[in-house]
Parts: sequence; C-alpha cells; structure tokens
Amino acid sequence: MSAVTTLAGMGDRAVLAADPLLRGDIDLGIVGIVVLKVVVAFALLLVSVMLMIWFERKLVADMHNRIGPAVAGPFGILQTLADGIKLFFKEDLIPDRSDRAVFKLAPYLSLVPAFLVFAIVPIGGDFSGDGTVTWFGERTYLQVADPPVGVLFFLALSSIAVYGVMLAGWSSGSKYPLLGSVRASAQMISYEAALGLAIATVFLTSGSLSTHDIVATQVEGNWNVLATGVVPFLVFLVAGTAELNRPPFDLVEAEQELVGGFHTEYSSLRFALFFLAEFMNVITMSAIAVTLFLGGPSGPILTDTLGWVWPILWFSVKVFAFLFGFVWLRATLPRFRYDQLMDLGWKVLIPLSLGWFLLIAAMRVADAEGWPVAPVVVVGLAGMTLGAVLLSGAVAKARAERLADLDATEGVDA
Amino acid sequence: MLGQYLPVVVLLILAFLFAALSFVASRLLAPRRPHDRKAAPYECGIIPGRETPERFPVRFFLVAMIFIVFDIEIVFLYPWAVAHGGLGLFGLVAVLLFSLAVFESFVYLIGNGALEWGPVRRVRHAVSPARTSTSTIRRAGVREVGLEGRTIGDESGRAA
Amino acid sequence: MDAAVFIVSAVVVLTGAAGVLVARNPVHAALFLVQTLFGVAVLFVLQDATFLAAVQVIVYAGAVVILFLFVIMLLGVDRAEDLGIEPIAGQRSVAAIVGASMLGLLLTVLLVGVDGPTGARGANAALGGAEDNTRRLGEALFTDHVFAVELTALLLTVAVVGAVVLARRVRGPLQPMPVVTVASATGSDDASATGSDEATATGDDPAAEADDEGEAG
Repeated sequence: MSAVTTLAGMGDRAVLAADPLLRGDIDLGIVGIVVLKVVVAFALLLVSVMLMIWFERKLVADMHNRIGPAVAGPFGILQTLADGIKLFFKEDLIPDRSDRAVFKLAPYLSLVPAFLVFAIVPIGGDFSGDGTVTWFGERTYLQVADPPVGVLFFLALSSIAVYGVMLAGWSSGSKYPLLGSVRASAQMISYEAALGLAIATVFLTSGSLSTHDIVATQVEGNWNVLATGVVPFLVFLVAGTAELNRPPFDLVEAEQELVGGFHTEYSSLRFALFFLAEFMNVITMSAIAVTLFLGGPSGPILTDTLGWVWPILWFSVKVFAFLFGFVWLRATLPRFRYDQLMDLGWKVLIPLSLGWFLLIAAMRVADAEGWPVAPVVVVGLAGMTLGAVLLSGAVAKARAERLADLDATEGVDA
Repeated sequence: MLGQYLPVVVLLILAFLFAALSFVASRLLAPRRPHDRKAAPYECGIIPGRETPERFPVRFFLVAMIFIVFDIEIVFLYPWAVAHGGLGLFGLVAVLLFSLAVFESFVYLIGNGALEWGPVRRVRHAVSPARTSTSTIRRAGVREVGLEGRTIGDESGRAA
Repeated sequence: MDAAVFIVSAVVVLTGAAGVLVARNPVHAALFLVQTLFGVAVLFVLQDATFLAAVQVIVYAGAVVILFLFVIMLLGVDRAEDLGIEPIAGQRSVAAIVGASMLGLLLTVLLVGVDGPTGARGANAALGGAEDNTRRLGEALFTDHVFAVELTALLLTVAVVGAVVLARRVRGPLQPMPVVTVASATGSDDASATGSDEATATGDDPAAEADDEGEAG
C-alpha cells in the first residue's frame, strides 16, 4: 500500500474502488439488497425513458409551435406507454431475405448494453464524505456497481452497441438498412475514438478509472469541466451526440435517403426494443457526461434530515439540463452531410482532443516538477499549431490529388 | 473482488429476461397474418428493381483501420494518465514520443486521401439557368386554383 | 464461485471457438469470434486483470472484429461459403499440423508444469497486488517496458502504411477498360473454379482482374 501512495503523488488518493456492501463475504441478505438495487435502477431507467420520450415529443412540438401528444393521460404523459403497448399488438415480421438468427440477435445487442451502462453511474451519495449512504443498516454506494475500470466498462459496452446497429442493417437483407448500418458503424467507431481521447483527460485529474472515484475527486465545485480546460467537455458533447446518432448527426436514419436506416425492416416489438435502447442511451450518455465532467451527484446538502435526497436532486437536475440540450439540438440544427461528419470527427475532434490531452498532461507534469507553467503552455500550444499546420497540409495535398484525378477522368470522358 | 461484479451480472440477467419476456408477450398478443408482400424488402412500396450492392468502398476499411490505431493509442494513454503522477518527466517524454508516432501515421494516412469523402468541388450550373422559381412554380391566380399538379390542357378534370 | 465462473466462461470461449470453425457464413464466424473474446475477457476479470479485460473488449471486439466485418462486407463475401473449396493450396493440412502441435505443447505444459505455467495465480501478482490494476500497469509499461511501448507505436505506423498501400488507387488518367473481355475472362475462370481443384493454380488471375476493375470504378 505504501508504494502506491508514494508513487501516486500529486495529492491523488489511492482509493479502493469497491462498494463497501460487497467488500466482505456475500450472504443471502446482501444478494437480496443487490437484487433490490438492480430492480430499482432498472425501473428507474424504464420510467425515465418513458418520460424522456414524452418530454422530447412535447418540447419539440413546442419549439415547432405544435401541441404534441395530448390525449393519453394528463398532458399526454402516458403517450409512450400507449405506444409501447400498441407495439405489443403489432405483427412481428421477419423479411424473407433476412439472416434470421442475426436478425433476432441484433435487438438484444442494442438493448442489453444500453441497460448495463447505467450500472456504473453514481446517482446519489454524500460525496463530501465517502460517497455512501446507510440504508437498513448497510452502507452502500448509490450506484449499481463500481468496477475498478468503470469508464472502460462504458466504452466497452458502447463498442458492443455498434454491433447491434451494424448487424441489424446487414441481416435485414434489404439495401437501405445495409447502407444505413454501414454508415452508422463507421460513424460510431469514428466518434468513439474522439470520445475516448476526451475521457483520457479526465483520468489525468481523477487518477482512477472508477466512476465513484472520478466523482469523489470533483467535490466542492472542483468540477472536471474546468479542471480539464473545457475543451474535452465540448469534444465529449459533440462526440457523444454523434455516438448516440442524435440530430444533427442522425445520418444513420436519414429518412429522406435511407427510408428508416438500419431498423427499416424491424416491426413490432423488435422495433420497440431498438427505440427503447436509443432513448436509454441518451439518458445514460447524459448521466456519464455529468459524472465525468459536472461532478455527478455532488452539490450542497441543505438539510440534515433526509440529506441523501439532495445529491439525487442535483444529479437529476444536471442530467435534465443535458436532456433538454439534446432535444434543443434536434429542434434547431439541420443534419450534417456524411463527409462533413467524417471531417469533423477525424480532422478536428480527434487531433484536437489528443493535443489537448498532451497539453494538460505536460502542464501537470511541469507543475509537479516545479517548473514555471507558462513556458510549457507556450511550447505546447506551438506544438499543437505545428500539428494543425501539418494536418491541413496533408488535407490540402489529398484534395489536390483528388482534383487532379478528377480532371484526368473528365479528360477521358470528353 | 468478484463480488463487485455481482450487480452487473444481475442486471445483465434482468435485461435479457426483460427482452425475452417481451418477445413472449408479443408472440401471444400479436396477430400472425403472413403475406409475401410483408416479407419482401421494404422500399416504400416500390418493388425492388436492383440487387443490394455486394461490395463497399474501401474507405470504410481505412476508417476501421485507423480506428484501431487510435484505439490502441487510447488504450496506452489510459494507464499512463492514471499513473502519470509517479512517472514524472520520463513518462511524459515516452507518451509524447508515442503520440508523435501515431500522429505522424495519421497525417500520412490523411495525406494519402484516406479520409477524403466529400465532393471535390461544387457543381456549378448543374441546373439550367432557365429554371427559375417563376418557370417552375405555378401560382394561384395565374391559372385557376385547384389545378396544381394536373397536366396542362387536361380538361377532363375540370368540373362541368 | 471462482470455479463456477471459470467453467461458464470456458464453455462460452470453447463454443465460440468451435462456432468460428463450423459457421458457413463469414459474418456468423465473426460473431462467434466476438463470443470467444468475451469469454476470455471474463477470464481476465477472474484473474484480477480488469484493465486487460476491458481492453480485450474495446480493442478486439470493438475495433478488430469490426474491421473484419467491414472487410467481409467490402469484398461482398458475406454470404454462405462452400467449405469444399480450399482457397490456398495446402492451407488446411498445414493448419491441422500447427493446431495439433499447439495442443501438444499446451498439454505438455499443463502436465509437466507443477504450479501452472508461470507460477503466478493472479495476472497482477508480479506487479504486487490486485488493487489498482490500471495504475500498476501504467507504471510497469512506462518504466520497465517503455521500449516495447514505443515499438508498438512503430508497429502501428507500419500497419497504417500497409493499409494505405493495400487501398491505393491508380494515379493518372484512367484508361477506358475493355469491359467485355474482362467480364468474359472472370466469368470463365469462376466457372472453372467451382468445377475443379486445378483452378486454385490460376485462381490469382480473376482476383487481380477484379481488383483492376474496382480501382477503375
């Protein structure tokens, strides 16, 4: 243990990433608590998806000057439930030319990762202490699980989610779903790289991959969004939106070009599961963004009685702000063109976040070595500028060659 | 240590059960009226006229390739980011060298046009200059209202 | 508990591996490969190598197999294959010999080695404990093994150069292709390829011609 603490340095705490509930032997009572926690999280996620879909439709309707869902329940709040029930009663079609096994597998590959990601999000707990709550005499985290590589768990699941989209399109045996899914998988892996690089900067400040520890290092308003210099946060937002295939990056299901994208051939419940997974991902992505950059559930605890309610409230407010932002983007921005999308991801976001990571890292190392920080920043920015010049040179060269090729081809035609 | 993963396993099982039970419910509730037309590829009612493309552009392969490169870079960055406090200047130089090598191959890839997707130049005058809004849009008042979309000179549609 | 997890993931790994061999459709084979990679990731978790487990899924399942799938779709070979044809002559017999010797090697190690192959019960044991896997890995990678890390970067560069060379396009003006002759040539070769084993010798030609066609289009 001493080796870890000396090596850690920089005031990073060597924290044990482990839920106290599960640290010792596991008896039946603890299994019961775990099952209870999981069921509550599951129900919470489903209900919030239901509300999110309603909220999105209502808000977009308001922004479009329409009424939106208004019939089922007060303010149409039960509209999603009604839609869901309706889909149970719809005929389940499997196209003739589909690859039946893979066609049936694909919805699971979309839905299950969407559920699992939520497990690592801390939704409450008093982080001015050790981030636990004590309920029924057991101390536990208010998150379903806290694996030591929490954020990597999220990245691993989002790379599995790519399979759901890719295989759904491929197995349909129809051309538009196939085009949609190839587009989608290329888009998702492109932005996954940007996402991963943006997250790397967070690990510099947190010194741990566990979501609990990441929140624990952001107490008292010391949020990562400022500690990492805002840029990774912005990159994360853009890349996250693209990863979710949300507007303005929803080329995957561009109705005007692709009928409905990868799930065109899906009907009934199979479609419902894709739909559910999509909105669930919106919520979990917002929750992950809050956890990584906005201090998760940390915030002032204003009353002593029922003090555990406040962190949950702060968390919900922060997540809600993101959800509102996603809907706002959808109502405001037109869709990107595919080449613009790829250019933004590869030629802007990825180099930018890599350069920014190295800059912040150099600043932290300089700080630890006791050097003045200003020259390091100047050198770092100069390096980034040099990189940008090189990159734009390469882009210009590639473009010029394509133009030359095109002229040559036109010469043949004429 | 394995106990920490118990909730994940429980959630996994629950998610699978949820999906599977939904399918059972759907099977019981949904009607079953198979028809050839329903099982054909859906193309908005148009009968599919040509086959699905068999091959895809090589660009997608290059995107996946360069994604692997960056993924590996990221995978090396994470342990370093977590441990950078104890590694000091030595670690920083190692990471800078590593990133330089990756960045340089990235620039090489882009320089060779691997990530060139878009139209090379704007197509000008693709539409004949004769086509303007006045030539293509018929306005109410110029002709009788209610004839939009009908062939000009088709008298049969006109009410007697 | 450990034994149960091991048995379940071993079954997942082995059925996946068998599936890769048996599946007739390349896409199915790739999916079975993902299943195997998953099982291996669980085995890594069992050994307290949590970082490696996550990387296994992120890099192998998330990037490498996606690349495979792109290549499968790229070449348009995503329909069931006839397993009767051996594309590279002698490949199968060599594969059988190599596989058998690997099995023999593994069995020897298992039977002769007293305390397992490395003697280490956990993947982290050599680094000094189970906690904080990622930090220990980072410290080991960027001190003792820093040379290997930099070599990896070089390896990646080589891979990128290889990819660019593979995907290169012909420079200069495109020649109008004698489409009819090419089409008839590939057609006849294809017919003979399905017909007899002798076609494996000439099998390179239609591939090359198809390549030219692809580059022109």
